[in-house]
Formats: sequence, structure tokens, C-alpha cells
Amino acid sequence: MSLLHDLSKDRRVVVYAAAVVLALIFIAVFGLKFGLDLEGGSYLQLQLQGAVAQVDVSPEKILEAQFNGTSVEKHGDSYFVTVQGKVDSTLADDLGYSGAKIVERDNTSKVTIIASPETVITNYLKKSLDADVRIVSVAPVKYEIRTNVSRDSLNLILAPVGGSVPAGEDAFVDGVTADTVDETKKVLDSKLNRLGLQDIKVRIVDNKFILIDLAGMDVATAQDVVGKPGKFEIRIQTENNQTVHVLYGDAVESVDIPQGDRQGGWGVPFMLSEEGAKVFQKAAIDAGATKNPDAHYISMYLDKDEIFSAPLAAELAGSLAKTPVRNLEARVGSGDAGSQKAKELYIHLREGALPVNVEVVGSGQVSAALGKQFKVQMVIAGLIALLAVAGMIFYRYREKRVVLPMITTSLSEVVMMLGIWALAGWQLDLASLAGIIMVIGTGVDQLVIITDELIRGGEASSLERSIKERAAEAAAKAGTAIAPTSSKVYLGRLSRAFSIILGAAATTVVAMLPLLYMGFGALTGFALIIILGVFLGVAIARPAYGRIIGHILGTS
Amino acid sequence: MELEDIISKYPPRQIILLPIVIIVLALISLGVTYLNTGSPVHLGIEFTGGTLVTVPQTGTEDTVRSQFEGYPLVDVRNIGSRYMLQFGPMSDSDYARLAKQVNEKYEGAEIKHMGPIYSKELQAQVIRYLPISFLLMAVVVFLVFREPIVSLLVIISAIADILIAAASMNLTGVQLSLGTVAALLMLIGYSVDTDILLSMRVLKRKGAVDEKIVGAMGTGLTMTGTTIAAVLSLIIVSNFLYFIIPSFSRMDVIADMSTVLIFGLAADVFNTWVTNAQGLRWYMNRPGKATRRQKK
Repeated sequence: MSLLHDLSKDRRVVVYAAAVVLALIFIAVFGLKFGLDLEGGSYLQLQLQGAVAQVDVSPEKILEAQFNGTSVEKHGDSYFVTVQGKVDSTLADDLGYSGAKIVERDNTSKVTIIASPETVITNYLKKSLDADVRIVSVAPVKYEIRTNVSRDSLNLILAPVGGSVPAGEDAFVDGVTADTVDETKKVLDSKLNRLGLQDIKVRIVDNKFILIDLAGMDVATAQDVVGKPGKFEIRIQTENNQTVHVLYGDAVESVDIPQGDRQGGWGVPFMLSEEGAKVFQKAAIDAGATKNPDAHYISMYLDKDEIFSAPLAAELAGSLAKTPVRNLEARVGSGDAGSQKAKELYIHLREGALPVNVEVVGSGQVSAALGKQFKVQMVIAGLIALLAVAGMIFYRYREKRVVLPMITTSLSEVVMMLGIWALAGWQLDLASLAGIIMVIGTGVDQLVIITDELIRGGEASSLERSIKERAAEAAAKAGTAIAPTSSKVYLGRLSRAFSIILGAAATTVVAMLPLLYMGFGALTGFALIIILGVFLGVAIARPAYGRIIGHILGTS
Repeated sequence: MELEDIISKYPPRQIILLPIVIIVLALISLGVTYLNTGSPVHLGIEFTGGTLVTVPQTGTEDTVRSQFEGYPLVDVRNIGSRYMLQFGPMSDSDYARLAKQVNEKYEGAEIKHMGPIYSKELQAQVIRYLPISFLLMAVVVFLVFREPIVSLLVIISAIADILIAAASMNLTGVQLSLGTVAALLMLIGYSVDTDILLSMRVLKRKGAVDEKIVGAMGTGLTMTGTTIAAVLSLIIVSNFLYFIIPSFSRMDVIADMSTVLIFGLAADVFNTWVTNAQGLRWYMNRPGKATRRQKK
């Protein structure tokens, strides 16, 4: 048969055949993965609460208010706060200024604080909001506030110290930075991995929402797992290479964002509760660590995994011999490796607590049995759809030679889509299966356009004649002597068909674009598979179909 | 075919009244719903917030009701082999308790919880994205035709499709859900398909306008026919299969989606072959316009 021979020379047909074979290989090798709603499991949709804001406020006024001082002066790197009467020695520590010096003279105290203006503002916001605050850009200085805060509530907090959020959209933006979203995702990843859970998917949507899929788990358990902190423990090495328990995570009052020092070393500052500091001091003295700090490692564990181990620092040992110390720092090393380690330790020290306040905005579960049933139902729907579409086409063309290539092309489009899905490792959920059925519907539409353009089926006054007759006429017009693929008439019609198809395909794609972002990712699969189907159809399947159907009509 | 007769027998001015009346009726339906509920279509649970639970049928509806007495149970529906329970908004701790209780009592329960932030955000998204979709579609149509009147006719037909589909949601009691929003967006794509085909055929081919319209109808109706066939199979499987095979259950998302699509596609047949076609007839047969067209 010359049909196969002729077609095998056509570039479009070859590309098409190769694509289908490749897709089949992908499906066979990588296999298809199904989404949560077909496999069973639960999902959580979390919103990260926070804002990035600029503030207009004077650090001097903040310090004056915080220390109840009479005057504040700034010289170089330091602020000097003058206070009437005595200043509680722990006040500076509580406010976050651990290196502050207090000198008392004639019923006035002078507090010396080494801090930049931004540090003062950050500390003030932290204290007032009871949340982490971080500087995320320098010019202008923007603060990321990692808790639920509005422009009004922030203004309310700044009002007592004569500050405000400057006017303008840019000065207060809801949501946290991409870095923070990423960090939150990492915390969740590491936490869920440590619990030994399989098949966890943590996704970010719209830079604001985090979606977690937990296979084979009901939603009540899922919420517990994600919300529950890990078990943190500090142990100290005793004389004979043994370790003893010192503190649990409840004694750690706060953990600060990792800080680098001038020598490039990295550490994670954290603060113990008053009670915890006393216990820590006692344990260090009992173990003999205050006398010989190098031989006494302080180790930290999270869910029994060691996350930090280093000898007690000499200067800390000196202080501990005299008094409890609340502000500690876990030093991890220097350079990029140190910075990385510090970030990990920071996550662990917080016992897997998320860096940002999150709110569960939605959640749910599907049982495995129900998922399986949905899968079966969708396969049935797909088959019925294909049959119905085939019936519809047969009703119009009454010609096997048109119906068969159409249905085959439509099926092969589905195969190509699934091939890409398998290659990318994306999951097929209920909505994307519905999307496939929609693509069958639209794909066949476009094949109808091509076929009709070629056989001039839509030509006026030809309604009484059967398509078969018109097909024969088309063959005559195209001329069996010259190969139809090179006929000008044929190519002209094909290009007209494609201008209609491209217009229709483009509108479908743009209509689907919003769905990629809407609904917290629930319809991403649906939109993606339709867009992909349209592209594959227009670029690969339909050009080949145009050639094939041209040949069939031309050589008959 | 009656539709074909209508196309050529009466002058466009008379026939165009029909779509105008239908669009006005659709607008009235949307307007009345807006006045009553504050939005042009009834909002589903995803937009109002709440919890949906489906459980296997083990007892009567009343026993299920009594099991969840302490919670804001709004509605219980029989969906094949399962009951679907709809709860109103509740606190996080109540929801956690409910989820535990459901899983203790039932094997294989399905739960969907939508908090207030979820629904608020979703509403904002729809308001933000639906017009963008429409605008992009309009841009594409203009790029395809580069003729303001022809493009406008296509866009008007698409708008009419969406309006009629939305109004039909009010008539059939389908609520706006994520699935139905997706369906409305799909309709933008579907409706423009046949309109582009029609306009291309009328603009680019030689011959009398009425004959070209009738010719395009053959192709266009087949196209819509195949799509309707695909959507009908979705309706049957998601909505009715559980009557025949009792172990199956209703697939809400798919059912709502396909219901909206079927109405939209029906509206599309009307709007393409009446609204758009009559518009084209009038445009092409305008004095002075026709001669210029014929030369091409």
C-alpha cells in the first residue's frame, strides 16, 4: 500500500508517530501517579500570615519609652539612655539588648546599648507583636513581620513611640517574602521526613499558601502531625563519657534568627526561661563543665536525633560558675557551611515550629476505597465519552475511513498527554481526568474543522449530498495524478483550517490560564492538562492528521 | 432544519430581537438573585465556608443527623451509597473534634473543610481572574480577525453564552463552586470555537453569505455535538450512574461542572447560529460593504 509509504516520508507524520511512541515509553517506564483524591489521604491548606512593611519611627523615642528614660543620645554605634532612678538589670536583656551596660550615679542610671537603629526598631516590633521580625531590604528598610498584622494594627503599635507606616501601597504589603515561604516549606519537609512519612508533597501556591498532601492518613491525624512540635532535649557530657538530661524544649523560651559575627562564624542565639537557666547552670556545675569546659560537650537532640554537639564555651563556663545565663548561642562554624548549618539548627531548635504563624484555611480527606471508585467511574466516563464522540462523528460522515483516523488521533493525543504527565512525575487527580475528557471533546472539534475544510463539507448547497460523494469529489478536485500533499488547493485549505484552529486553541488556553492559580491549586491539573492537550494537538497531532486524512481522501 | 430557515427567511433586524430578549431574561435572573443574595449566582460551600462530609450509608438519615447534633449541620443529602452532610462555619477546635468523630464512626469518610480565609480568598480570586480570562479572550479574537465589528460580534456571543449559562445555574439550583467556575471558563473557549469558524467561513470564502452560514453550520453543529456528547457522558457517570450501580456515588465537582457546560453549550448553539450569524448577515449585507468584501 502506498499510503504508508507516502506518509512515512512526511515530516509531520514522522514527528507525530515518534511522539506517540515516546509517550508510550514514558508511561511504561515512569508509570502514572495519581493524586490524593484518587489514592486516598488527606490534605492541608495553610496560609502564611505576615506582612512586609516600612516604618517611620525614631529609635531614640523607642528606647526612651522602653526604658522610661528622660533622654536618649546616640554616639557612633551606641545609644545612651538616661533614666531617673534604678534600672532593673534584666530589663535590657528582656528587651533584646544582651550586651547593655548600666552605670548608676546620683539616682540616675545611664544605659549603654550597642545597636543600629534597625536593630532597635526590630526589637521593638518583636516585643510588641510577640513574633519574629526580620529586615528584608535595606533601601528603603523593610521589615518582614511574621505574624498576622494589618496596616492599622501596626500603626497602633507604633503610635505610642510617635511612629507610623508611611503612606503608599508599597509601604505595607500583605504576605511574607519568597525566602520565608521557602524556609517554611523546608521546615515542613524536614519535619515530615523525620517522622518517616512517605509520599508527602508540600507545595507552594501563590507565594502565600502551602499545600500539604499526606497519603494514607486521615485529616485529624494530619493536623496533629503538622501542628505537633518535635521533642527537643539538651544533654550534657559528664565525667565518664556519659551524657545526662538537662532540659526539654519547654525551657527554651525563644530562638533567634542565625547571626554571623565579624570573623565569619555563625551561631544560633536562643534564650532559656529563668527556671531553665538555673537548671542549666546547676547541670554544668554538677558535671564539672565549668571547670573543664573543653571536655564537656553540650548536645541537643530532636526526636532522638543529635542535631548539635559542641564543648561548652570557655567564657560561658566562666559566667555559669557565678550566675545563671539566659541568653545562649549555639556556635556551629564559619563560612557558607556554617551559615547553612546555622539555618538547619535554627529550624531544629524551634522543634519544627514554623517560622511564620500559619492558619489552616482548608483541609480534607478522601478514603482510598472512595478514590479507587472515583478512578473507575472516570475511566467509564472516558470510555463513554469516546464512544459518544465516535457515534456523533459517524452520524455525520458515515465513513469509516474518516471516523477511525479521527478517533485514533484523539486517543493518541490523550496518550501524549499522559506521556508528558508520566515524564514530569505529575499526579493525575480527579479534575485532570475530567480535563482529559474535555480535551477529547475539543480535540475532535478541531479534527472536524480540518476534515470539513479539506472536503469542502461546509460548501453551500451541498447538504443533500452525502459526505462520501463529497469526499470522492474532493479526491477528484485534488487530482489523483498529483499527490494531494503537494496540491496547492489542498495546502490552501489546510492553512485556512489551521487559522481557525489556532484562534480557537489560543482562546481556550487564555481562558484556562487563571485556573493555574485559582483555588489553591485544586484546578491546576485540570487547566494544565487542557493547555497541554491543546498545544500537543495543534503542534503535533493535527498537522499529521491533516496529512493523513488528505491522503485517505485523495487516494481513495 | 428550522434554524436554517430562520437564518435566511427573516431580516436580521427581526431575528436579533430573539437573542436580545433571552439575554435580558438572563440578566433579570442574575439581577434578582443578586438582589436576594448579594451575588448574581448562588454561592456554593467553597465560597461561603463550611464543611462537607460524605459517609457510607449505614443507617437512616435521622441516625446520621442525631450523630452530629452538636455541630452546625445544615443539610443531609442522599448521594447514592453515601450521605453527604453539609456543615456551616465552625471554629477550628470544633472542626478538629468533628474530623476525629467522623473517622471514629465511619470507615472511608470524605471530608472537605473550607475556612473563612479560604472562601474569602476564593471570592477575591474569581473577581480578579474571571475578567482577565475574558479580556485575554477578547484580545485573541481581535488578533485573529483584525476587524472590530466581526470581533465584537464574537465577543458578544461569548458574553451571552456565559450569561445564559450563569442564569441557568440559578434555574437548576447549581451553586457556584470551583468546578463551575472552571466550567464557565471552559465555556469561554468552547463558545469562541464555533464563532471563529463561522466568521472565518463567512469572511474568507466566496459565495452568498446565507449559504456560507448554512455551510458553516454543518461543521459547527458537529463540533458542538461532539463536545455535548463528551459532556453528556460526564453528566451520566457523575450524576446518574449510581442509580444503576449502587456502589458508585455522585461526583459533585464533575456533576456541577458538566451541568453548567451543557447549558452553556446549548446557549452556544443559539448564540453562534442566531446571534452571531445574524450579526454577520447584517454586517456583510450593509450597502457599500458587500462589494468590497466580494473582491477579496
